[in-house]
Amino acid sequence: MSGALVAAARVGRRVIAKPGAALSIAFLAGLSTLAACAGLLGFDPLTQDVIRMLEGPSRDFLFGTDELGRDILARVIYGARTSLVTAAGAVLLAASIGVPIGLMAGFFGGWRDVVLMRIVDLLLALPGIMLALAMIAVLGRSQAAALVAVGITGVPTFARVARAQVLTLRRRDFVTAVEAFGATSSYSMFRTILPNSWSPILTQMVVLSSVAILLEAALSFLGVGIPPPTPSWGEMLRTGKEYLHDAPTFAVLPGLALTLTILAFDTIGRALSTVIEGRDTVIAARSDER
Amino acid sequence: MHRSDRTGTDQTAAPVLSIRGLDVTFLGSGKPIHAVRGVDLDVFENEVLGIVGESGSGKSVTALAAAGLLPRNALIEGSIRLNGQEVVGADDDTLRRLRGQDIGVVFQDPSTTLNPLLPVGRQIVEGEIAHGRLASSAGQARAVELLREVDIADPDNRALQYPFQFSGGMRQRAVIAMAMAGRPRVIIADEPTTALDVTVQAQVLALLAERQKQTGAAVVLITHDLGVVAEVAHRVAVMYGGRIVETGTVREIFSQPRHPYTAALLRSAPRIDVTGDRLDPIPGQPPTPTDMPTGCAFHPRCAIGEGRQKCRAEEPPLRILDGTRRSACHYAEEVPPPFRSGSGSVPAIVRPAPVSAPEPLLTVDDLRVHFPIRAGLLKRVVRTVRAADGVSLRVAPGETLGLVGESGCGKTTTGRAIMGLVPTTSGSIRFDGQEIRGLDRTGMRGVRRRMQYVFQDPFSSLNPMLSVGEAIAEPLRIHGLYDEMGGAAWIARLFEMVGLSPSVAHRYPREFSGGQKQRIGIARALSLKPKLLILDEPVASLDVSIQAQVVNLLQDLQRDLKLAYLFIAHDLSVVKHISDRVAVMYLGRVVEEGAKHDVYSAPVHPYTQALLSAVPVVDAATQGRTARIVLEGEIPDPAKPPSGCHFHPRCFRATDRCRTEAPAFAPVPGSPSLAACHHPGAGA
Amino acid sequence: MIGFILRRLLHLVPVLLAASALIFFMMYGVPGGPIGALVGENATPEQIAEVTRRFGLDRPVIIQYFDWLWRALNGDLGVSLHSRVPVMQLIGERLPATLQLAAAATVLGLLIGIPIALASALHQGSWLDRILSGWGALALGVPTFWVGILLILLFAVELRLLPAASAYVPFWQSPLGMLRATILPAATLGLYVSGIFARFLRGSLIAELNADYVRTARSKGLSEGVIVARHVMRNALLPFITIVGIMLAGFIGGSVVTEAVFTYPGMGRLVIQAISSRDYPLIQGSILVILAIYILINLMVDVLYVYIDPRIDYD
Repeated sequence: MSGALVAAARVGRRVIAKPGAALSIAFLAGLSTLAACAGLLGFDPLTQDVIRMLEGPSRDFLFGTDELGRDILARVIYGARTSLVTAAGAVLLAASIGVPIGLMAGFFGGWRDVVLMRIVDLLLALPGIMLALAMIAVLGRSQAAALVAVGITGVPTFARVARAQVLTLRRRDFVTAVEAFGATSSYSMFRTILPNSWSPILTQMVVLSSVAILLEAALSFLGVGIPPPTPSWGEMLRTGKEYLHDAPTFAVLPGLALTLTILAFDTIGRALSTVIEGRDTVIAARSDER
Repeated sequence: MHRSDRTGTDQTAAPVLSIRGLDVTFLGSGKPIHAVRGVDLDVFENEVLGIVGESGSGKSVTALAAAGLLPRNALIEGSIRLNGQEVVGADDDTLRRLRGQDIGVVFQDPSTTLNPLLPVGRQIVEGEIAHGRLASSAGQARAVELLREVDIADPDNRALQYPFQFSGGMRQRAVIAMAMAGRPRVIIADEPTTALDVTVQAQVLALLAERQKQTGAAVVLITHDLGVVAEVAHRVAVMYGGRIVETGTVREIFSQPRHPYTAALLRSAPRIDVTGDRLDPIPGQPPTPTDMPTGCAFHPRCAIGEGRQKCRAEEPPLRILDGTRRSACHYAEEVPPPFRSGSGSVPAIVRPAPVSAPEPLLTVDDLRVHFPIRAGLLKRVVRTVRAADGVSLRVAPGETLGLVGESGCGKTTTGRAIMGLVPTTSGSIRFDGQEIRGLDRTGMRGVRRRMQYVFQDPFSSLNPMLSVGEAIAEPLRIHGLYDEMGGAAWIARLFEMVGLSPSVAHRYPREFSGGQKQRIGIARALSLKPKLLILDEPVASLDVSIQAQVVNLLQDLQRDLKLAYLFIAHDLSVVKHISDRVAVMYLGRVVEEGAKHDVYSAPVHPYTQALLSAVPVVDAATQGRTARIVLEGEIPDPAKPPSGCHFHPRCFRATDRCRTEAPAFAPVPGSPSLAACHHPGAGA
Repeated sequence: MIGFILRRLLHLVPVLLAASALIFFMMYGVPGGPIGALVGENATPEQIAEVTRRFGLDRPVIIQYFDWLWRALNGDLGVSLHSRVPVMQLIGERLPATLQLAAAATVLGLLIGIPIALASALHQGSWLDRILSGWGALALGVPTFWVGILLILLFAVELRLLPAASAYVPFWQSPLGMLRATILPAATLGLYVSGIFARFLRGSLIAELNADYVRTARSKGLSEGVIVARHVMRNALLPFITIVGIMLAGFIGGSVVTEAVFTYPGMGRLVIQAISSRDYPLIQGSILVILAIYILINLMVDVLYVYIDPRIDYD
């Protein structure tokens, strides 16, 4: 399947040619590196210093300190690690459940399609955050629960994208042609349809990364996501909001990191969609995450 | 529609539309695209000017520029004078006044040219109301009047209906009514019948010609179809590579072209009125605006230039030859007549006598394919589309059966059903001595080695993820026969067989043109060495000059490999050219079948007769033909076919018996053909 | 028409049944379940057994479900374990507040989003389009809770113009009071949703502007204004209505975070409270009501379609 590689390289070149997307990729690469090497660089997110709590930005603490006197910059960097890892896990989980569901529903049609897509529609009928909250209510509060809860909300999107791809591609003659040669169903599905679906699925993965980061932060902001003391942006916003009078930067700076990360994924996703489909079709992956 | 009373165009009067030095460049993110390069053109009152050219020749861009309808990223230079008023650089108000008042436009695809959310009547008179020539209170009455003028039945109710309630032909009538509502001096008709079936095309062309005569307007008819031009136009302009290469009266152009492209184009088109000769394609590809040859744009494909230095270096001007004739060729005087008489330069095809085998290779009997349409909560079957409703066919080894019909007649469904790609309802399909209807995937596997399919759209039939070499090898790999059949050597041989170099095998489909992709599709279908190819409109999406290349290739392959073809097409000329026998379908049934010569020269079914008479002929000299049969109405919905004989509501011979009793498909007394008709026979 | 609405309402029944069953079995199927929430962590086995019997939790889950369903059909969604108040009553108090906020946010989003979409689509590719599109991306990308915090910081902490915590003031009691109490959360949600509206409507406007029938309209000599107003807008609004409906419905249960930022007494906060106190009847009841409203709003969108699109025939 070197064809997929050739196509991917072409898409990659054209995405990087867009300044916004290039900047976003650079930002995310920098952030990931920083988060991965945070320990080596000497950042310490956990040591408390009650004497120096709720300080504004200074030479010692570039982002200031929180209510327990911890370094906010260190916590923002470690928060990036939490955020990116949870989002990546959630997106992979969503794709690995959603894509096969969509492929099967679209390919076999009939009752399998009806049953699978009814379940998917049901998941879509609840606002994403509600669905995640319900999952947390069942699973309890932990990082793994947050990952699963966020991942499940992404399943319907992947199922729909994959199904739509199958339905579009099945009308294309080259899929019919493979059948006319006498290929098996699994050859059609996995050797012909799936390789031709990589681009919309990839676009969805990038776009859903931004949604997953937002949703994880929202859960932590509501106090049901990543449990303390693990640093997370949502949790920092939650606490920072209580000290808006005394230390406004406490809530503002983690929020900025969160916002930039979300915007970066969103920008790359839209660039991908523009390159692949000729126009920006990303409105918002699930338009009701609050 | 015949110009028995051809209007004598008064070319001494001032032209209503005069184009000088028109240049159109599209500016985008990439390189600027120079689509039109220095076009000069005059259109006079009371004439139909045909602009002919293949895709990318700049014909539509030229016409749309005249109406000021090009998109904003088009840079327009030169002069376009409409009724003495300059269009290029005119402000919005002037342009608005010109449109609808001085110029009207009929577009190609009637399914998208009307706003789906507004009643048709309102859309027809909207322009007149906007220009203040009509009170909105009088709109409805005027809409009814205009619809009546274009022969739409029950105009009072139709005016209030929405476009989705109109058939394709009716929509195009409504668009014509709309374009003519303001009595404009010039009508631009951009491929007005390309999206329509041939019997409906005949109606619409007749209407357009009639309305032109009544109003005295000038009509600029843009088309790729030489037949349409020959039938309707008075004067012709031929475009190639963004320029006009030749102009003249229709008779002059068709009988004695003065540009080698025109001559080559006429020779490459299959003709319904001529039999036998091998097509004479134009080699190579038409140029694209981004890749224009130096000098004369046609020189790489030209048989007269033959690489002469002047053709390669110098772009020939459009010069006056005599009277109104102009040609943009350095050697216009050397152009030979288009149609060879008797011993032409191209040898006639020597066909092997069809093998008279005791048993046909493929026998289809009373095949039915019904698609249920389900709706509602419980997915109940609300109606059934009878796509194929009793089809019977035979294809002998090594012969070509042409299966023709208009859209929705079930010809493609029949092909796919034979290939086992759609589930069948009843009937029998015998192939190579074996009943194959209802075989499962495993059963069909063996059959599919011996029977292959070539698709219409070369852009969609190749997997973009596979190199063309992998694409051709794919059927072999699926059957696990890659090494057994000869591996890479066999793939290379297949490339050569379809006229491509094996060195392109590692490239991807997007690097190839439509014609080349179709060759690759054919090579792929041949890789398993089948006995029968089902060809579904294999040349319909190709330009005329490329069509001829592919048709010739198919004929060569058939001769060399002893292949049988089931050739499915709507183009009666192509079918006539390639077939040994022909079957005509109408609404799910074969209505007539016989040897090519019999079906084309002595058709017995009224539908065949109407269909043949509706085909425009690529020759201005054959105008005194017997009166055309213009069928009423359009093809009914295959979910609600008429009772009895499906054709009876449109038939000029229908009797009470036809309304109640479906005719059997049987031999016709006094004719070698088979037909399904209660009243078969010659003539209208 | 009425037949169509009735049929669609009938369609609603299996969806709600399936959803309620799903939620019920998820909650009651897991070990621990509601008992833990009822008795607290230090309960003796005797206490647990007592509570289990009293609440009928020793019966098979399926029986409990049908029991719950039967009561739900009679308008009884049970009693909150936490506050001992009927769930129906709690929802009845919070739902109007959420509906008012959702409506205010949607109206605001339309007021901002539609002009942006029009300006951007009509000047496609210009610097104005780029700025407006960038603004749309920003409105969409910035998390609402951060926007909310910034708004509080500006208007409540710095300028001291508006309250940091919002209350529910019904519009018909005091329009001005409602405005003052709701403007910040409504603006937070409205800004976000305006980004979605602008992006979506711009896309469909551009698609329609390039449609063949627009070229036809131009060829008749209509002015651009008439073309946009009479031809383009209606076609572009058709798919747009669906998005507005989805967003409006999404706000009913989806504005949890914004409600939390402004401590607004809506459905979202009710659910959060229910989840953190593991108040199972309240969780179920709220989710069921949110789902029902979502489906009802979608039904209203479908009904609207019949009036706008002549091609749709529901009978």
